[in-house]
Amino acid sequence: MKRLKKDNVLSFLKEMNKKENVFCPQSVEGRDLILMPLGDGVYSGDIGKTTVSAKAILFPQTEEITSFKGETISKIFDSSKILLFGVRPCEMKAIQFTDRFMTRDDFIDPNYLARREKLTTIVVACHEPPSDTCFCVDAGGMPYLENGYDVQLFDAGDFYIAITDSENGEEIVENKYFEPGAEKDKNALEEIKKRAISQKTNPGMKKAIEILKEDKLNEAFWEGLAERCTNCGGCVYVCPTCTCFNVYDLPFQGGYIRCRSWDACTHAGFTRETSGHNPRPTQGSRLARRHEHKLKYDIINFNESGCVGCGRCSDACPVGLGAIEIIGQINEQGEKNTYH
Amino acid sequence: MAGLAATFGSGAMTNSIQELEDAEVFFVIGSNTTEQHPVIAARIIEAVRKKNAKLIVADPRDIRLAKLATLHLSHKMGSDVALLNGLMHIILNEGWEDEEYIKARTENFEQLRDVVAQYTPEKVSEITGVDKDSLRKAADIYANAKRSMILYAMGITQHVAGTDNVKSCANLAMLTGHVGFPSTGVNPLRGQNNVQGACDMGALPNVFSGYQPVTDQKAIGIFEKEWGVTDLNGKVGLTLTEMIDAIDKGDIKALYVMGENPLVSDPDSRHVARAFKKLDFLVVQDIFLTETARLAHVVLPAASFAEKVGTFTNTERRVQLSRKAIAPLEGTLPDWKIICEISSRAGYSMNYDSPIDILDEINRVTPSYGGIMYSRLIDSWGLSWPCPDEDHPGTTFLHKDKFVRGLGSFNVSEYIPPAEPPNEEYPFTLITGRVGFQFHTGTMTRKSSVLEREAPKAVLEMNPNDARQLRIRDGSIVAVESRRGELHLPVLITPDIPESMVFSTFHYSENNINELTINAIDPVAKIPEFSCAVSIRRT
Repeated sequence: MKRLKKDNVLSFLKEMNKKENVFCPQSVEGRDLILMPLGDGVYSGDIGKTTVSAKAILFPQTEEITSFKGETISKIFDSSKILLFGVRPCEMKAIQFTDRFMTRDDFIDPNYLARREKLTTIVVACHEPPSDTCFCVDAGGMPYLENGYDVQLFDAGDFYIAITDSENGEEIVENKYFEPGAEKDKNALEEIKKRAISQKTNPGMKKAIEILKEDKLNEAFWEGLAERCTNCGGCVYVCPTCTCFNVYDLPFQGGYIRCRSWDACTHAGFTRETSGHNPRPTQGSRLARRHEHKLKYDIINFNESGCVGCGRCSDACPVGLGAIEIIGQINEQGEKNTYH
Repeated sequence: MAGLAATFGSGAMTNSIQELEDAEVFFVIGSNTTEQHPVIAARIIEAVRKKNAKLIVADPRDIRLAKLATLHLSHKMGSDVALLNGLMHIILNEGWEDEEYIKARTENFEQLRDVVAQYTPEKVSEITGVDKDSLRKAADIYANAKRSMILYAMGITQHVAGTDNVKSCANLAMLTGHVGFPSTGVNPLRGQNNVQGACDMGALPNVFSGYQPVTDQKAIGIFEKEWGVTDLNGKVGLTLTEMIDAIDKGDIKALYVMGENPLVSDPDSRHVARAFKKLDFLVVQDIFLTETARLAHVVLPAASFAEKVGTFTNTERRVQLSRKAIAPLEGTLPDWKIICEISSRAGYSMNYDSPIDILDEINRVTPSYGGIMYSRLIDSWGLSWPCPDEDHPGTTFLHKDKFVRGLGSFNVSEYIPPAEPPNEEYPFTLITGRVGFQFHTGTMTRKSSVLEREAPKAVLEMNPNDARQLRIRDGSIVAVESRRGELHLPVLITPDIPESMVFSTFHYSENNINELTINAIDPVAKIPEFSCAVSIRRT
């Protein structure tokens, strides 16, 4: 157990940045908090909740995956080492979820994996919910992690208490900015953990999961919600576990570059077939698909919900169709519906 | 814009977007808000959902916003004046008007009363196709709330009666005292990020910046002094639609187009193409090689928004700073630099060092922009005009206590039918518009893979009953013919469009719906009607 003074965080990150690419929550002119390369914005010490999750680092909004010119095809990998500082526990859970997803059934996503293998994570546990839309506890998580990180920091006032869960993490806390911990830190850490789990937002995910499992909702329910969906795709783009993408080729220097960009299952073209037929023909059916995927099929397939309770979709949605509101509606409707 | 300027004295949104949250009633007419102004639509949707605001949507189509509406008035294309006069008739009959407001803040009321007296519910119901009950309900909801807001867009302005339609909206608001207060007013939604700014800067044939008439001696004096010239001629120029006719007649020999693609966006585009081919000299300045640019003798490649510094003025009159994110691509320049270079080569040297210099000049010569300084735009969400001096906080809503023109003027209009009503030969009314995933002629959005996938081609929306009668299946190709041209389009059968009406979009140059549309124009604003009569047959 070690300590890292908050006043030393920036110096520590600057030093690390000499060897690898450091990303941490920063903002430009006091606007949105975003995980950016160190120095692209201002690090104020606020870890908060970034508008877009850490997904954007491992699986960028747009990335080049292959280039081809004549007979030559080359794969493009980003092989730089990354240190990610200020990941929240829910996001780390989402990364663990994505790790499984990107390697399932031997279908390995090489670009994701190349980045993941070069990634070191410093998680900052939440001593209090960073926003009103946080509901990780309701979603079956905790505002801190038991495992699956490199370093985890707990906020103890002027300093962080640091614990590690990997060799990589061990190496990091050897850095001169980490100071030896005190005996009382162990108790302090338990106190922080206890305090952390008090969360105001509890939409009732477990109940919603049961309702979906029992197929209690009809099409009219989803179509009713979809009437106000503006189909912006924002909920999908900010979601830390949504990793669907679209592939396209761009002409470049006499050849082509194959790129992929984030896509959204809420868009009609996502499932439209070449014939014009669309198995998810309405906005309601697409909304249903998205939420059933997370709260029903991910549980069947991975025994884990695809929603980690970060609440970003509820922050982003301009018309109140984030997970919190949808879960609330599922529960309300589930109680009303008597048929099975 | 001309309509609101005549009635209120200023042609812009009377309120800010934020104020939508507290409106009690929205009357949305001629705006497919969810698809075209999603940020504003989201505010309306949230006000309806969270605060039980009432929503009236007047649109021939059952657009997405109409599905959430308290009341949807599916009135016939081009019957807006009759509809609005009809609502005012009911309001006056029931005594729902705001007598005090009319007395204190408006003029020409008697004229309005006399004309709308003829617009009885029976007559209006017949012209518009909206039943009398719904008319009464709409009048009641709109008139008898405290904070009622009208929102409109091209759905009412792009008509031969476009100016009349806007004036009628203004009349309705004044009659009920619904303008000049927070969350209460008349709000034209501008269709492009900076069309408000372009108008504010005098990119119109009749005004300098800040709507100072080019015919006004005082204004001429201000600009002659600022620019160091002595010969500003005070003559009003031509509008776009007039220019095309003038080119066709041979009166205009050279044309310089910036950031427009009139070959696809303007009505009767075969006529536009014929006219453009007659030009001795065509210059097009754009970020991509558009259909119009392909006809040009000279193409000037411009830098995109991300490659330059400047300001945009959005629909709520808010001037916002836009910064340079990347350097301009090789061989391109920001528009302002291109203009300066050409002017200097043409003999008038323009020596601005940066867009900041230009904004300084705007501050000096444009009273409403007097206090919108560069230094105040950094680190802020911008300032809404009027903002006359550097201490002024900007204006969220217009016409507080008194109208910009003094008294609000009732400018009453009579209903005139569309320029090209359907007949036996051309039994359908074609209306055109946009979808949310494409912007205008698609010069930018069609280069984005996901946007293009979402809306890859033009389709013709048709009512199921019409499709049945013509024995047309969903997805089959039909020939759509107007007096100006013929197109082959796949049909999308949807109950969202009423019978005898079809809808398509103008995003696609390979199937350019504007080859069919009509360039009949509004006599004041010179805006074209687009909508026209068509016939449809199986292929």
